[in-house]
Amino acid sequence: MMIQTEKGPKKRWNINMLSSYGTIIAGILIVLIFSLLSPSSFATVDNFMNITRQISLLVVIAIGATLVMSVNEFDLSIGAMASLGGVVSAKLATEGVPIILCVLIPLLVGLFVGAVNGYIITRFNVLSFVTTLAMGTVIGGFTFWFTEGATIFENIPEGFKWLGQTVVAGIPMLSIMMVIIVLVFWFFMSQMGIGRRFYAIGGNERASRVSGVPIQRYKTLAFALCGMLAAFTGALLASRLGSAHPTGGDGYFLNAYAAVFLGMTVVRTGVPNIFGTLFGAAVLGILANGLTILQIPTFLQNVITGLIIIAALIIQKLGREKG
Amino acid sequence: MALLQIDNISKVFGKTKALDDISMSIQEGEVHALVGENGAGKSTLIKILTGVYSPSEGQLHWQGKPVYVSSPKDAQDIGINVIHQDRQLISSFTGLENLYLNKPYPKKGLRINWQAMKKEGAELAARWGMNIPLQKTVSDMTPSERTMLEIARCMMSESKLLILDEPTASLTDKESELLFQFIERVRNEGVAVIYISHRLEEVISLCNRVTVLMGGKLIKTLAKEEVTEERLVYYMTDGQTSVKKGKQTKRTNGKALVKVQDLKTADGTVRKANLELYEGEILGVYGLAGAGRTETMEAIYGLRKVESGTITLHQQQVPKPSPSEAISKGVVLIPENRHEDALIMNNSILENMSLPILKRMTRGGILQKKEEKSLIKKEMERFQVKASGIHQTVGELSGGNQQKVVFAKALLTNPSIYICDEPTQAVDIMTRQEIHQFLRGQVGENKGVIYVSSDLHEILEISDRIIVMSEGETVANLQNDHLKPDDILEICYRFQKGVVTQ
Repeated sequence: MMIQTEKGPKKRWNINMLSSYGTIIAGILIVLIFSLLSPSSFATVDNFMNITRQISLLVVIAIGATLVMSVNEFDLSIGAMASLGGVVSAKLATEGVPIILCVLIPLLVGLFVGAVNGYIITRFNVLSFVTTLAMGTVIGGFTFWFTEGATIFENIPEGFKWLGQTVVAGIPMLSIMMVIIVLVFWFFMSQMGIGRRFYAIGGNERASRVSGVPIQRYKTLAFALCGMLAAFTGALLASRLGSAHPTGGDGYFLNAYAAVFLGMTVVRTGVPNIFGTLFGAAVLGILANGLTILQIPTFLQNVITGLIIIAALIIQKLGREKG
Repeated sequence: MALLQIDNISKVFGKTKALDDISMSIQEGEVHALVGENGAGKSTLIKILTGVYSPSEGQLHWQGKPVYVSSPKDAQDIGINVIHQDRQLISSFTGLENLYLNKPYPKKGLRINWQAMKKEGAELAARWGMNIPLQKTVSDMTPSERTMLEIARCMMSESKLLILDEPTASLTDKESELLFQFIERVRNEGVAVIYISHRLEEVISLCNRVTVLMGGKLIKTLAKEEVTEERLVYYMTDGQTSVKKGKQTKRTNGKALVKVQDLKTADGTVRKANLELYEGEILGVYGLAGAGRTETMEAIYGLRKVESGTITLHQQQVPKPSPSEAISKGVVLIPENRHEDALIMNNSILENMSLPILKRMTRGGILQKKEEKSLIKKEMERFQVKASGIHQTVGELSGGNQQKVVFAKALLTNPSIYICDEPTQAVDIMTRQEIHQFLRGQVGENKGVIYVSSDLHEILEISDRIIVMSEGETVANLQNDHLKPDDILEICYRFQKGVVTQ
C-alpha cells in the first residue's frame, strides 16, 4: 500500500542498514582487530597474498555452490566431487598425460556428473538435497575404488604443481586464478541473459516458466557448472599439494556453503551473488588466518567461526522482518 | 447499543496516513459491507479490529465497554473472527484436523478421541447448514469447501463478529450462493458480519449497510434503501468514473487465431475442450469450479501436459506446446495468480519485464543494459506504473501497480493472442475498467483475447462470444447477443455431475 516515490529525507542508522552492511562491517572489524593484535605478522603484504592463496580454492568451489543456490537448489555432492577431481587429475599426471589434459579432463568429469545431477532433479522433479547427497555417496565410493583408498603422491611430475605452487611477481598463481574465475562468473551472472534467468528461476520458478524460461535446461546448466568448478577445485588442490587424497576435497563442502550464506547477507535482496561469496570466503579465510597467527587452538577457531556465521544470518533476518 | 463502536480511529505508517479519523458502528445481526478501491484502508481497518495493528489514535468499544485488541488472540477471545482472502489451512491435514487447529483435541486417556471429534464436527456443520466433507484432505477440496471449512473453524468458538475479506474471489456463482445462504443464517442468529468485496452486486443484495472508504477516510455510510451501484461507484471513485455498461461494437469474424480440438490433458482435468478464437474478438470462457477453464488455458500455453487433441495457433498446429513456443507464436498468458505465476516478487521491475524478451535484450548472450533500461522505462511510463524507478522490487509495489507491470510485461512480447485468466480478480473498479478498456483496445486485425472469469457479469460485459465449460468439456458456444446470466447458469447446471442429459 505504501509506495515509495521519493527517498527519505535523511538516512539514519538502524537495523535495516545493519542487515545490508552488517557482514561488511564485521569483516572490517575482524581485519582491524587482527591488525591491532598482531601488526607484525597479520597486517603485511605477504600475509595478504597468503590469505588470497588460502581462500582461492574455497572461492572457486563456493562460486559453483552460488550458481546452484541462485536457481534455488542445493548441491551437496561438491565435496565428494572435489575429491574425485583431485584424484583424477593426480592420477592422470602420474600416467604422464600432458598437464593441460590433467586439468581439463577432471573439468569434463565434473561437468558431466553435475549435468547428471541436474538432469535427474529436473526430469523427475525430485529434491536436489537428497539427490545430490546420494550422488555424493556414489562419487565418494567411486573415488575409493579408483584410488584403492590410497593417497596418490608418487611419480607426480613437477610441471603438475605449476598452477598450485607458482608465484608470479609476488602473487601466487592460485590467487590470479581465483580473480579470473570471480570476474568470469560475475560477468556471467550479472551481465548476461543466463544469469538473469538463473535469478528468475530462483526467485519464482513457476513465473519464470510462464515467462518462457526453459527451467530444465538452465537448472541443469547450473548443476553442470557447479560440478565443473568443484572438480576444478580438486585439481587445483592436487596441484598445490602435489598429491591427492580420496577424501581431500570433502572438507570444502561446508565452508563453501558458509561462504555463500555469508555472501547472501551482503546484498539487500538476500540472493546468492558472486562478490558476496568472495567476501564470505574472505571473512572465513581471514578468521582462520588471524586466529592461527594468534595461536588460538583449532577447536576454538571452529566455535568462533560458526558463531559469526549464525550471527550474520540472524542480523539479516531481523533486518528483513523490519523492512 | 452497538456490538462494536469504532471511534475516531487513525493509523499512521511513517508519513502515510492509512486511516484518518474513522468512526462507525457495527450492530448485532447486521451485515455491514466495506467497499473502496485498493489502498482505501479496508485492510488496515480490519487489521486494527483483529489486533494485528494497534491504532495510532482512537478507541474501540465492544458491547459498550472500551476494549484494547492487541493481538489476534485477543480478538478471537472476545468473539471477532476473520476469514482472509487466502486460506489459512494446512493442506495435508483433513478437514476435521483443521477444525481443531487452535483447539485442544478431545482425548480419551492419552489417545485422541476421533469419534468425539467427528461427532462435534458433524454437529457444527449441521447447525450452520454447511456441507463440508470433513474426512477429506484439504488439498482434495474445492475452493468453496475450503472457504466453508475455514468459516466453520471460526464458528467452533463463539463468534459474535465475522469478518469476511473477499470471500467470493475464488468461488463460482453457485458456490457464492451457498455462502450467502450461510451469511443469512448467521445474521438471523444475531452474529454481525463485516463483508469486504469488490463485487458490488453482492454487496447490494447482501448487506444492511455499506460503508465507503477512500484514501483512508470514511466517505459515507449508506443504508440498504439508499444503495445503488452507480451511487457506490460514485463515492468510491470520488465521482471520477461511472460504470459503463452495455456492449461494445459488433465485430465480424475473421481468421481463426486459436483452434483447440478435442483437447485432453494427461491429468484428466480437461477431457474434451473445444474452442476457436477469431481475430478481432474477445472470447469469454465460463464454467463452475472444476470445469477445467484454467487447465485448458494452461494446456494451450504449454504448462500442462496434453494427452490427445490438437492445438492450432495462427493456422499452424503445435505438436509440443511449451511456454517459449507459445510466446514465439504471439501468445501471452495473464495468469490468475499474480504472486505465484506472473511476477518474481524479489526481483526488480526491470528484471521482471525483460524476462520473456531476454533474447531480444542480449547480443551473444550479453545483456544490452542501456537499450533494456530505456525500453522498460518507456513501457513503465506508458502504463503509468507508480514506482521509485525501474530497479524497485516488484514486491514493494501496490497490487494495482503489480498488475500494471504484468500487463506491461505481456505487451513487450508483441502478443497477438491474449489469454487472460481472471485478470481482474481482487483489483479495484478503476483498474478493472482500465483492464477492460486496454483489452478492448488490443483486439483487432490478427489479434484476439480469450477471457476467463468466474464472474458471470464480467464475462457478459466484455465478451463477444462465450463458451461454457463443464467437467473438462466444452458444452456450449454462444454468441453474446442479449444473453442473460440465467441462460448461462442453466447450461452449467444442466451439465453438472450426475444430471448430464442425453
